Amino acid sequence: MKKSGIVFNIQKYSVHDGPGIRTVVFLKGCPLRCRWCSNPESQKPQPQLVYNPKKCLTLEHCVRCIEVCTVGAIRSGEGNRIQLDREICTECLLCTKACPSLALNVYGETMTVAQVIDKVEEDSSFYSRSGGGLTISGGEPMHQVEFAVSLLKEAKRHRINTAMETSGFCQWEDLRDACGFLDTLLYDVKSMDPEKHRVFTGISNELILENLQRVREAFPDLPVWVRTPVVPGFNDDPKDIRQILEHIHGMPNTYFEALDYHRMGKPKYEYLGLEFPMGDQKLDEEKIQRIHQMIRSEFPHLRSPGSAENGSLQKAAS
Amino acid sequence: MECCDVLSPHETRLQEETQGHASKYEKGRERVFRIMKTFQMKRPKIDVERAKYFTESMRQTEGQHLTLRWAKALKNIAEKMTVYIDDHQLIVGRAGMQGRYGVLYPELDGDFLDLAIEQLSQRVQSPFDITAEDAQVVIDEIAPYWKGKTYHEALSVALPEETARYTFDPKDPLMSRFIVNETSSFRSSLQWVHDYEKVLKKGFRGIRKEAKERLNALDPFSPVDNVEKKPFLEAIVVLCDAIVLWAKRHARLAAKMATKEKDPKRKAELTEIARICERVPEHPPTTFREAVQSQWFVQMFSRIEQKTGTIISNGRMDQYLHPFFKKDMDEERLTEDEAIELLECMWVAMAQYIDLYISPAGGAINEGYAHWEAVTIGGQTPDGRDATNDLSYLFLKSKREFPMHYPDLAARIHSRSPERFLWEVSETIKEGSGFPKLINDEEVVPLYLSKGATFAEVLDYAVSGCAEARMPNRDTYTSGCAYINFAAALEMTLYSGKMKKYGDEQIGIQTGDPRNFKTWEEFYNAYLSHQADFIKQAFIQQHHVIRLRAQHFAVPLASALHDLCMEHCIDLHQPKIPGGIDLGYFEFIGYGTVVDSLSAIKKLVFEEKKIAMADLLDAVSNNFEGKEDLRHMLMNVPCYGNNDPYADSIARAVDRAAVEFTHKYAKELGVHLDLRLVPFTSHVPFGKVVSATPNGRKAYTPLADGSSASQGADTHGPTAVLLSNFTTKNYDYRERAARLLNIKFTPKCVAGDEGTRKLVSFIRTWCDLKLWHVQFNVINQQTLRAAQRDPEKYRGLIVRIAGYSAYFVDLSPDLQNDLIARTGHEQV
Repeated sequence: MKKSGIVFNIQKYSVHDGPGIRTVVFLKGCPLRCRWCSNPESQKPQPQLVYNPKKCLTLEHCVRCIEVCTVGAIRSGEGNRIQLDREICTECLLCTKACPSLALNVYGETMTVAQVIDKVEEDSSFYSRSGGGLTISGGEPMHQVEFAVSLLKEAKRHRINTAMETSGFCQWEDLRDACGFLDTLLYDVKSMDPEKHRVFTGISNELILENLQRVREAFPDLPVWVRTPVVPGFNDDPKDIRQILEHIHGMPNTYFEALDYHRMGKPKYEYLGLEFPMGDQKLDEEKIQRIHQMIRSEFPHLRSPGSAENGSLQKAAS
Repeated sequence: MECCDVLSPHETRLQEETQGHASKYEKGRERVFRIMKTFQMKRPKIDVERAKYFTESMRQTEGQHLTLRWAKALKNIAEKMTVYIDDHQLIVGRAGMQGRYGVLYPELDGDFLDLAIEQLSQRVQSPFDITAEDAQVVIDEIAPYWKGKTYHEALSVALPEETARYTFDPKDPLMSRFIVNETSSFRSSLQWVHDYEKVLKKGFRGIRKEAKERLNALDPFSPVDNVEKKPFLEAIVVLCDAIVLWAKRHARLAAKMATKEKDPKRKAELTEIARICERVPEHPPTTFREAVQSQWFVQMFSRIEQKTGTIISNGRMDQYLHPFFKKDMDEERLTEDEAIELLECMWVAMAQYIDLYISPAGGAINEGYAHWEAVTIGGQTPDGRDATNDLSYLFLKSKREFPMHYPDLAARIHSRSPERFLWEVSETIKEGSGFPKLINDEEVVPLYLSKGATFAEVLDYAVSGCAEARMPNRDTYTSGCAYINFAAALEMTLYSGKMKKYGDEQIGIQTGDPRNFKTWEEFYNAYLSHQADFIKQAFIQQHHVIRLRAQHFAVPLASALHDLCMEHCIDLHQPKIPGGIDLGYFEFIGYGTVVDSLSAIKKLVFEEKKIAMADLLDAVSNNFEGKEDLRHMLMNVPCYGNNDPYADSIARAVDRAAVEFTHKYAKELGVHLDLRLVPFTSHVPFGKVVSATPNGRKAYTPLADGSSASQGADTHGPTAVLLSNFTTKNYDYRERAARLLNIKFTPKCVAGDEGTRKLVSFIRTWCDLKLWHVQFNVINQQTLRAAQRDPEKYRGLIVRIAGYSAYFVDLSPDLQNDLIARTGHEQV
């Protein structure tokens, strides 16, 4: 078993990614390239240099990175801040150690299973009260399958409740191994249309839907929260969502949650030197309300148990 | 909102909330809204009657037993002070004029009252108005008598020069140094809780009868009985007469007003007021309304009696009022709506009395008309059962719907608090005003047991003031306590006992030039020497405070309601009362600031050697001018509040050194003087004397508050904040007092029933961790806007959108605006 992997974030007090109060461990690397991806730093498997110009103290105050760069990839740029030439940069990461304000930083570090579990276990008194625990996310956690499964297995040995967030785009055998150590599975179904799926994520949805079917057959007791990011121009028509709901309708222990598209990840594209494929597109407020209304009225039994909306709906219904 | 929910934006928020809630909750609350409109947003005025009649009587009783003098003065006030019955009000009794008002306590600070009166209306923090005529009364009648007699003067003369240097400005003893501050000269007592139940059970007639019987039973030949007990008991009799007289003057006024009243409904109300004031507090009440009125008379008379630091608290209201509530409900004499109306009549009356701080130090420490008239709900019964009842839930309902920040609601939580109670507490917290604050039985009960209380006493504790727990018949310590600025100790470590604010003056001990320190231990030990020296000065202060206060203050009312005072015929302000437990404290101001600074120095100067001590000194002494890079390096070390063992081990060591000091020396003072981390708003004025600190904090900005992390330094979320708080306490010692903890949430974090459920489990875990106190801020749009303007201060603010979370300050302005708009939408 592989005992270490690349983690790009450990998020404590996460209250929307599975039951209770959780710690989300984000693993680096993803085979999909969703246009709306809010974690672009998760895509590449290796640690990455990021530069956040807002945190740069300006050259007036600090030139430490320029001094340590051995290849001359850092130069004076706009607004008296530095400019990073990623063509020349070798990602030696010396500049991140020199930067006093974390403007230059690394996304992703190697951690062992024991290190991650230690970190996760810090909040165990919160898990036992709230029914929370560890959620593995990504990236696509199955991209580091050995590490992910080791983490889940070790978590179970520590009696920590487990959840995993996956795109479902992975080998069935890998997913099967992970499911054996899971208390909840968060499963993304983005669209029922294979072609649209290909255009917007880079891959088709066939394997994803097939794996979902297999999970339901092999692990009928495992609660699965199917989650769909509602993205403008992609699946923001109630018809798109209805297709997904109809597909999962009737599956055992299966719930649904629609996640509204947001642009919170946009600045990170800039830090990584990437273009944000979605530009300034915004979700149409009226459309999204229609979608939530449809879920509420037509598929109330599919509402995810952890959704913030859920309770107030129950109240409204009673 | 940084401490106790009472910083200066309070006044503006109050107005906003009134508008926000008016449409929704005004229906059924017409009476209290009408009362509210008579005083809201009007500047408080000073009423001089209390001071005038107090002084008048004190002039005539010189040489007599102090408690008796005090009782006579209260009687003089009760006879002569104007009584009022406000329009629409059902509950009556004011300590001063109509509208928002403050009263004067010249026994504390009469020596400079005349001077202060001139400045009060121009003061930036908490200004007050006074009429020219009343100002003249202060100048001619009140101030001259007190010159040379006040407590404040006595203390400033008594302190040895060395200690005074840390306490007062050597040129002007009116001005605090904000290094080792005393608070006893701007409040004659700590926050206090009376045993209100005693009044409801016996009435003042019963208490008077007891005193009379005791008087008759005194040994006529005993010198102690003659000199000490006799005048004390006589004082109790006079006091009982005074408060009853005061109540009956209200009865007469109400009856008179009723005869003139045209509106039949109001006429009936006035007649009922007259009937009730004739009955209580002399007799035990028979109904809920009578009980509320009786409690209110005691509460107000107690404010006339003395200036208690941050106000008299209200005790376990859901407990002592419950029998009356239940009886009336069972006999269908009262509805829940009527009960709420009566309580809210009390809240609007409370809101008109403003605790007036004359001294600049008092005003600064309690900025924004601070008030903590804590009403306690929940908790356990003296025999250890859950104490939550119907009334507890009614208080929470009122708190959710009533638009003002009164009262200061405090909920006691224990390991078996019912789920419904925690659920409703959480729903109330989600309203966003920060109420109720929570106090943890699982910490208070064992700690007070170890300090000498019985189970029955501590299980019946009441929350008092900001974050204290009091046992009304067992606590006997009332001295104002020391506030110690440990960030100043840190600064003195950098400059060998000097502070930039005070120039070349050698205030503290000389620990040498830190540039010559070879090891971290050398630096840390130098800091500890200053820390110990500061605590030493505080204890010297306290020694004088305890002795002097007994010579200047007396409290016949508070003594009448205290079992031990009555048993031994000793005034509550006397230093030693047999059987009492003296729960004092000293305040550690700037905990997070000190810990983070030490962490930065240890790591960057001594371990990694990335910064030379000379460069660090250069940077801090120039307020980081031109050293932004160095400042950011200092800020990015492990900080307190992130459950990081590096910073937290320093925090625990610092706490331990302080606790060990008091473990050794508090015994000599004959009291518990425990380490407390509760700042009021004092981390702001104390910050104003401390220059730049090695945690990257700029000169003269606020220090970290209470046991919370430095502003913006808690970047690992609320669970880490709780865990840091847990790991930095020294459980093998009992010398700890309250720790105040603020947690911020965005509304999204606690949205819906699922959010409430998670908040409940968060609170359960807080209870498991045995942390003393917590209060929540559910952050709204305004705060997000503030974060936009001042991102550095809000570094730790996490915003959540569906399954993704981000640090708000990392988002672009465009996205921040988007989020602000969305949050606003969610809040509707």
